Amino acid sequence: MSTATATASPAATDTAPPPQRKTKRRYGPGTLTVATWIIAILFVFPLLWMILTAFKQENDAYTDPPKLFFSPTFDQISGVLNSGFLPYLGNSAFVTVISTLLVLLLGIPAAYALSLAPVKGTKNALGFFLSTKMLPIVAAIIPLYVISQNTNLLDTVWALIILYTAMNLPLAIWMMRSFFLEVPGEMIEAARIDGANLPTLLRKIIMPVVAPGIAATALICVIFSWTEFFYAVNLTAARAGTVPVFLVGFITSEGLYWAQLSAAALLASLPVMIVGWIAQNHLVRGLSMGAVK
Amino acid sequence: MSAEVIYDKASRVYPGNPGVRAVDQLSLEVPDGDFLVLVGPSGSGKSTALRMLAGLEDVNEGAIRIGDRDVTDLPPKDRDIAMVFQSYALYPHMTVADNMGFALKLRGFSAADIKKRVDEAATMLDLSRFLDRKPKALSGGQRQRVAMGRAIVREPSVFLMDEPLSNLDAKLRVETRANIAKLQQRLGTTTIYVTHDQVEAMTMGDRVAVLKDGVLQQCDAPRSLYEKPANSFVAGFIGSPAMNLATLPLSDGGVQLGDLVVPLPTAVRTAAAGLSEIVFGIRPESLRLVGEADEGFELVVELVEELGADAYLHGKVGDDRFVVRVDGRTPPRIGDNVRVALRGEGETHAFDPKTTLRLG
Amino acid sequence: MSTLSVPAGTAPATAKPAAKKVTGSTGKRRLPLLPALIFVIAVTQIPFLLTLFYSFQSWNLVRPGSRHFVGFRNYVDVFTDTTFLGALLNTVVLTVVCVFLSLLLGLGLAVLLDRKFFGRGFVRTLLITPFLILPAAGALLWKTTVFDPSFGLLHFVFGTDTDWLSQFPMAAVMAQIIWQWTPFMTLLILAGLQSQSKEVLEAASVDGASRWRTFVSITLPHLSRFLQLATLLGAIYIVNSFDAIFLMTQGGPGTASTNLPFYIYQRAFEGFDIGQSSAMGVVVVILTMIVATFALRLMFRAFSVDGGVK
Repeated sequence: MSTATATASPAATDTAPPPQRKTKRRYGPGTLTVATWIIAILFVFPLLWMILTAFKQENDAYTDPPKLFFSPTFDQISGVLNSGFLPYLGNSAFVTVISTLLVLLLGIPAAYALSLAPVKGTKNALGFFLSTKMLPIVAAIIPLYVISQNTNLLDTVWALIILYTAMNLPLAIWMMRSFFLEVPGEMIEAARIDGANLPTLLRKIIMPVVAPGIAATALICVIFSWTEFFYAVNLTAARAGTVPVFLVGFITSEGLYWAQLSAAALLASLPVMIVGWIAQNHLVRGLSMGAVK
Repeated sequence: MSAEVIYDKASRVYPGNPGVRAVDQLSLEVPDGDFLVLVGPSGSGKSTALRMLAGLEDVNEGAIRIGDRDVTDLPPKDRDIAMVFQSYALYPHMTVADNMGFALKLRGFSAADIKKRVDEAATMLDLSRFLDRKPKALSGGQRQRVAMGRAIVREPSVFLMDEPLSNLDAKLRVETRANIAKLQQRLGTTTIYVTHDQVEAMTMGDRVAVLKDGVLQQCDAPRSLYEKPANSFVAGFIGSPAMNLATLPLSDGGVQLGDLVVPLPTAVRTAAAGLSEIVFGIRPESLRLVGEADEGFELVVELVEELGADAYLHGKVGDDRFVVRVDGRTPPRIGDNVRVALRGEGETHAFDPKTTLRLG
Repeated sequence: MSTLSVPAGTAPATAKPAAKKVTGSTGKRRLPLLPALIFVIAVTQIPFLLTLFYSFQSWNLVRPGSRHFVGFRNYVDVFTDTTFLGALLNTVVLTVVCVFLSLLLGLGLAVLLDRKFFGRGFVRTLLITPFLILPAAGALLWKTTVFDPSFGLLHFVFGTDTDWLSQFPMAAVMAQIIWQWTPFMTLLILAGLQSQSKEVLEAASVDGASRWRTFVSITLPHLSRFLQLATLLGAIYIVNSFDAIFLMTQGGPGTASTNLPFYIYQRAFEGFDIGQSSAMGVVVVILTMIVATFALRLMFRAFSVDGGVK
């Protein structure tokens, strides 16, 4: 045993993915890399252009040929911030956070029931959840409008919270189910032999292990809630509008001023952009439903 | 603390039509402090038998007792057992110390007691330096020892081990094998150990139970299994390389093996009365090479496995394949014709071809 | 055992059929499922039943008090409405083309990203960003800075004064949607590429397979589940596309770029014709169900509900 103890660190790579793949490259390493960079920059160019335009004066925005160099200004950003953007931002944040929490609250027990404690009809329940994602949302918008009106939920954040929760719940259950299924059976058995009852098992063993998967799921819910447009535009307005509503209202009231529009689009997207950048790996993990560790 | 374990005609039947009898009427008695190895090929029900004792599989018929308690319907946590899994099943989000102390914490031990016991076990297993690490940062051998430690700190009546060495490399496996056996002797805790590796079974167990298709074939001390296998399955399973088994016609004095008539003990001949042929068994190490003129049978060498100290000759006698262990320094070559004789009396085995049971 | 998990290199924990049951009676075990189930049924099924109910009525908000049952007349009108049929066709074209092209682009980008190179993390960050911005922002961005006939980037590149949005409305809308969804596909396929066993690739190269051959014979089959998943998730979202059309073309010129979501929206919120638009909604649901019956089967394969890793 003593020989094994001496080799702690090299053996620690047992499970870690091999640090790099050896691929033979026919082209010099540079060519493909440069090509990748060029393609990537071309691909996101509209976005980069938006960011540039957000810091232009309007007369720098409308030029032929387009201007790459100009004296940057924060006029547009502050202009957007001063035209009532913040309440919309608040609504978006509130709706996104609460609906995501609700998804987790309802979805975690369901995902657990469909994976680690499966009962008869599991497949049907899963199929049902998924089939609701296939219902075109337009088919329900009229009654939803009528119901919201009759229950005084029209133009409130709660209408959106309820709908976003229902919208994200099926996919979230699917994702979290696959993360639950990854919990090794032997580990659960070990915990049971150690004396863990169900609540302890869930709290101390299963939840910590699936936490990254749940975080990934939450991230996807956040993105879809933040960027949702159809419900928001149809069911909310000035009082409970989210950032997409602001964006639409902004162009209709101000006309299409590009620099200001770019600034508004940038500000409206920035929170989710930052969250997504930081949690990229979670995003990959969530989307691929746990296929990649 | 430690206790005896009794399987009383315990069966595990998976539902179906007809049900699959993964473990069939298993009866075993493991005395207090004994090290019992359950061994068998995959699908033999050895793991299921262990998991029945752990409470992870239902017992559909019969009963299981630990000490004087009937645990047949008790949940795992109330059986006073600890288990080491093949995958170790460590909690990835807990440190080594927390992994080892988890069960004690759930049983309401004080933090000081937990620390004391964990420290003791860690010292025993040479893990003291790693107590604050997560399993991810440990090598395979270290993880295996944490899994052992998790079982030890519990001070249970029975240790259950389900192929705990199969994820280690060959060298580490041999080392750990010896360490587990030593540890078990020192703690004196009844241990049930599952493996498919008959070398592990022979070297570790006080007694070894051989299973096949859910049915217990034989349970005995390793030496007895080797010397007196109860049936031809055990004969072929225990020992490496495997025993030579051939169905041979009975003649007056014994069995005809090539040119050689192998005499059979009286007891065997009596038991074989009425049979026209028997399954004759002889271990490779019970055979030896002899000179051209000596009494023996001809073997055409088809393959030579050189292991250094020994060499194994593979060849054919009639239609039957035989393996002979010879001295490793001057082995014959492929294609050679060699003459083989028995090493001594009393090293032959005979089995009934129909029932497969040992004769004599 | 788990969904997309890859057999190669998984922990031996999966080697045995370890029973995953956790104590609890069947009734009790169903309990955790119920809140989610009830919630989803209430929020998604009740409105749909109301849609069905409305679809048999003549009900226009502009003429209050005129609400009455008309049987199947709304449905007859829907199927004789050439705009509806055009919108249906547009929806199919838009979904198929966008899913296919974004998948193809995504595959290409994923392959480019699946190697070590300078600035890989940064390039990946760049490439996923279109998925993170508001689709509404993306639509407005393309409408203005890309497609504008006098100041847009395309005008600058091609030097023509083409009014892309009125001359090629569908293509313009699709370009924007593809741009928005390609990162999603890239991420998914990249996950698939990275889950591939390196040993299998090495085995192929030892067997003498060229890189192209390896990609076609080894990598693509390995990716098939990821591609199925990407196709289905992409289709679910793209078939409901509304933002791009609403903000870029308003379905025009005429109804050239009108898809079903936009058309139903128009009839309901601009024409105030509840009965008609509800009937369209029902028809769309039925069509979707027909497609989904096949799609769901595929989906179950993609997610492997039966839990079988072959």
